[in-house]
Order: sequence, then C-alpha cells, then structure tokens
Amino acid sequence: MTGPMLSVSELTAGYGRITVLDKISIEAGRFGNVGLFGPNGHGKTTLLRAVSGLLKPRQGRIVFDGEDITEATSRAIVKKGLIHVPQGNTLFPDLSIADCMALGAYSPRARPLEDENREKVLALFPKLRERWRQRVATLSGGERQMVSIGTALMSHPKLLILDEPTLGLAPKIKDELCRSVLEISKSGVPLIVVEQDVEFLLELSQHLYFLNHGQVETEIKPGESLGHSEIMAMYFGH
Amino acid sequence: MGGTADILFGGLFQGSLYAMMAVGLALVWTTIGVFNFSHGVFMMLGAYFAWQLVTWGLPPFLAFPLSVLAMAGMGWVLQASVVRPLIGRSNLVLVVVITTLAAGSLIENGALEVWGPRSKQIPPLVSGNVMLGSIGVSLHQIAIILVTPLALGALWLFLNRTRLGLALRAVAQNEDASRLVGLNVTMLYGLSFGIAAALAALAGIFLGGYRFMSPVMGVDPLLKALIVVVFGGISSISGPIYAAYLIGFFEAIASYYFGLYWTPALLFAALILTLMVKPEGLFTPNRSRGLA
Repeated sequence: MTGPMLSVSELTAGYGRITVLDKISIEAGRFGNVGLFGPNGHGKTTLLRAVSGLLKPRQGRIVFDGEDITEATSRAIVKKGLIHVPQGNTLFPDLSIADCMALGAYSPRARPLEDENREKVLALFPKLRERWRQRVATLSGGERQMVSIGTALMSHPKLLILDEPTLGLAPKIKDELCRSVLEISKSGVPLIVVEQDVEFLLELSQHLYFLNHGQVETEIKPGESLGHSEIMAMYFGH
Repeated sequence: MGGTADILFGGLFQGSLYAMMAVGLALVWTTIGVFNFSHGVFMMLGAYFAWQLVTWGLPPFLAFPLSVLAMAGMGWVLQASVVRPLIGRSNLVLVVVITTLAAGSLIENGALEVWGPRSKQIPPLVSGNVMLGSIGVSLHQIAIILVTPLALGALWLFLNRTRLGLALRAVAQNEDASRLVGLNVTMLYGLSFGIAAALAALAGIFLGGYRFMSPVMGVDPLLKALIVVVFGGISSISGPIYAAYLIGFFEAIASYYFGLYWTPALLFAALILTLMVKPEGLFTPNRSRGLA
C-alpha cells in the first residue's frame, strides 16, 4: 500500500460549545508507528475519540483503509479493523478476563480467529492466564492495562490506537508493558500511540505529531531526528 | 402446622410474582441506567393480550407465549420511541421517569378504551386444586412457584453463558468501551427493554389467572417491584431476586401474625430501617452497576 492507512483531514470537533480540535490533519500507517504528544487538554484523546466514532466530528474527513469513516458508527469502524484502547483501564470491572477476551472477538471479522488470537495474547501477557477467571476489578493497574490491550488484540486490529498505555503504572511494570507494546508493533500491527513518556515514544514511533491548541504544531517525519531536549522545549515553550 | 404451610406457600407465591416483576426493572436499570415507569403497564397489557387471544379461540399454550413475545416487541418499540432519543442527556434519569410514566398512562387509558373497565380473567396455567398438608391451594399457584425459578434461571443462563448475554452485561458496565469492541449498543438497549417487558407480561399472565384483571392492575405490582429493587439493591439482577422472596416471606409472616392491615406498615418500617443501615440495598456487593 502506498497511501496512508488512516488519514484525517481538516478535522474539527469538540464538546458542546467548546471546540477542541481545530482543522487538524494527520496520517498514520504509512511510515511505521505514529506517536502523538503534547500537553494535556490539547486534543489528543478527542482526536482519537473522533477517529473511532465515539465523537461525531463537526467538519473534516476521516479515511481508513480506503473508505470514508467520518460518519461511521464505532461498530462499523471496529468491523473494519481500526481498534482503539481508551485511556485509563477501567473497561469492564465486573467481567472476568475470559469474558473480556470473548468480547474482544465479538466482531464477525475477529470471531473465526478467536482461538489463534487468544493464544497470541496469552503468549504476550502470560500473567493473564493465571488470572483467567478473575474479575477485572480485582487486578492490579498493570494487569488491567494488559486486559485492555489484550481485548483490543482479540479484535484482530489492522491499526491499533493506544491512548496513554503506561499512565499511572509503576516503573517496573511500565517497562514490561513498553516491551509488550514494542512486540505488538514488531508482529506487524501499525500503532498510533499517545504517550507522555517521551523516551518510550521516540523508541516506538517513526512519525511524530506535537499537538497544541487542537492543532498540529510540529510534525516530525521519519529521518528527521529529534532529541529529548528539543521535545522538552516544545512542551515548555522556547 | 397449618400456619407454617400457609406462610411457606404464601411467601413462595408472592415472592415469585415480585421476583418476576422486579428483575425486569433491574435489568433495564443496570443496562440503560433508567427506571422504567411503564413496566407495570406491560404486565397489564400482557394479561389483556393473552385474554384477547384466548377469547378469539386460541388455546392458552399458544396464546400465552404469543402475548409474551408481543410484549417483548412492544418493549422494544417503547424504548425506541421514548427512551432512545433522550440518551446522552445529562438529566436522562428524570426525563425518562416522565416519558415512561406518560407512555404508561397513554397505554393504560388506551386499554380502558379498547377493553372497557369490566373485570376479566384468563384461564389458569393449570386448573384444579390440591390439598397441601392442611391448606388447599390451586395448581395455578403451584405452577407459578415452579415456572418462576425456571424463567429466572433461563435469564441467568442467557446473561452468563451466551455471547449476547455477555454483551448485555458489558453494556451495563461501560458504554464507550462496549462501542470500542464493536457492540451494537442501540440494539442491546432495545433487547434489555424487550426482555424486561416479556418478563412483566409473564407476571401479568400469572396474575390474570387467579385474580380479576383491570387496566390499572399493573400499578400496584410496579410499586412493589420498586420496593423490591430498592430493598435488594439495583446494581445486579440477583439482589432483587433474593429481595423479592425475602419480602414475599416477610409479608406472609406479617399477615399471619399481625394481619393484612399491618403488613404494609411493617414492610415499610423494615424497608426504612434497612436503608438506614445499608442505603445501597441489602444485596449490593461493593461495586458499580453491573449484571450478575
């Protein structure tokens, strides 16, 4: 494929009278993984919610895998293989891990591959096997994040969106999870990742967008190198 | 000995009816997060529909399931017309109280218009009486006591052993996350309303088989069902089931020892005391909304 897998053009979206995204344009799935970063409250999560159909955009166009999905429902978008792991890890507190994995394979595209994908998820996160019948609410933060990502992998993603996967995790668990995310990427699933840990983001993604005030302030394409200190300068102003 | 049998039988019987009504109310609350105040109307309509079909000459074993199915459809339609358009509003709970009350009132008066105020009765599930120890009971009542756990057991199996039931439990816990795994949330909302209405219709058919029916026959059971879900906790469907039987037995004991007139007062006293000690309901585990 020559074009991007996902292209968002001139997207405007918000909540009520508040406009969060102001004619934002990004591309993903062309140059490896995409990293989104920027201060909190500047539209990263809103952008992801609009892409996965949770929030109807006011203007603009979203194309995934050659089809316009701007007006599509989340269900249709999941069916096409664009899978979004939302921020926080409070998915289904009263379901067991087994239940969550079954839900992940709910979409007709993923159902025939359920057994195969389950094995992949358990190979990636062996801890989940030990707690297979346990309620999600009884798991640790890191384990819950594994369940969230595992549920998404059960949906057999063509493109996987991760919204701050390491948020609030202890350093050791965070390292573990970062390695797992890198492994997912190596297995051939392109990612869009929002992350505050700049080191991890630089290691993972080849294509970066710095979001500020609902717009792309800086785009860093592959080959254009960027150091930690320059990113810090973006966060805190020059 | 007669007293014990009376209490046991009366408790089981009333408990069954309450459980049948309360579970539907709890199902809708856990999945959509609204109280359906037209729930009692489905009970009435289910009974009248069954009566109409039987009057047209259909045998009860066909008329009853048909009526239950028809009410499931009605529940779906009501949800689509007075609940779904409002979803997403911040004051959803209160607005839906009004819209479902209004729809219920319309249907109630519609039934009065169509079928008239004269009391009616539908044939019992099983006719005849038997002596149970020293008390005589109708086979219809025994059938209710036996069918209720079967129906509720079937619901439990559906929720816990099927993929669609799993989807319903998921929607109850997190709507956005449910959308992100590709669930059809609109359809699941309709389904939960449909199942609730079908259960209410079944309760209506039970009730219409041993008491006279009237267009307002659902009002009292709705109130009881509300008490049951508040008492048992609205966060699951098993809580209200336990509470339904508990209240059934409480009433049976109270009316045996203190008389029928004291029973409501005693029940409310017990309810107030319970809510003072455990405001989240008697059988609420430490967690948020969810079906189990």
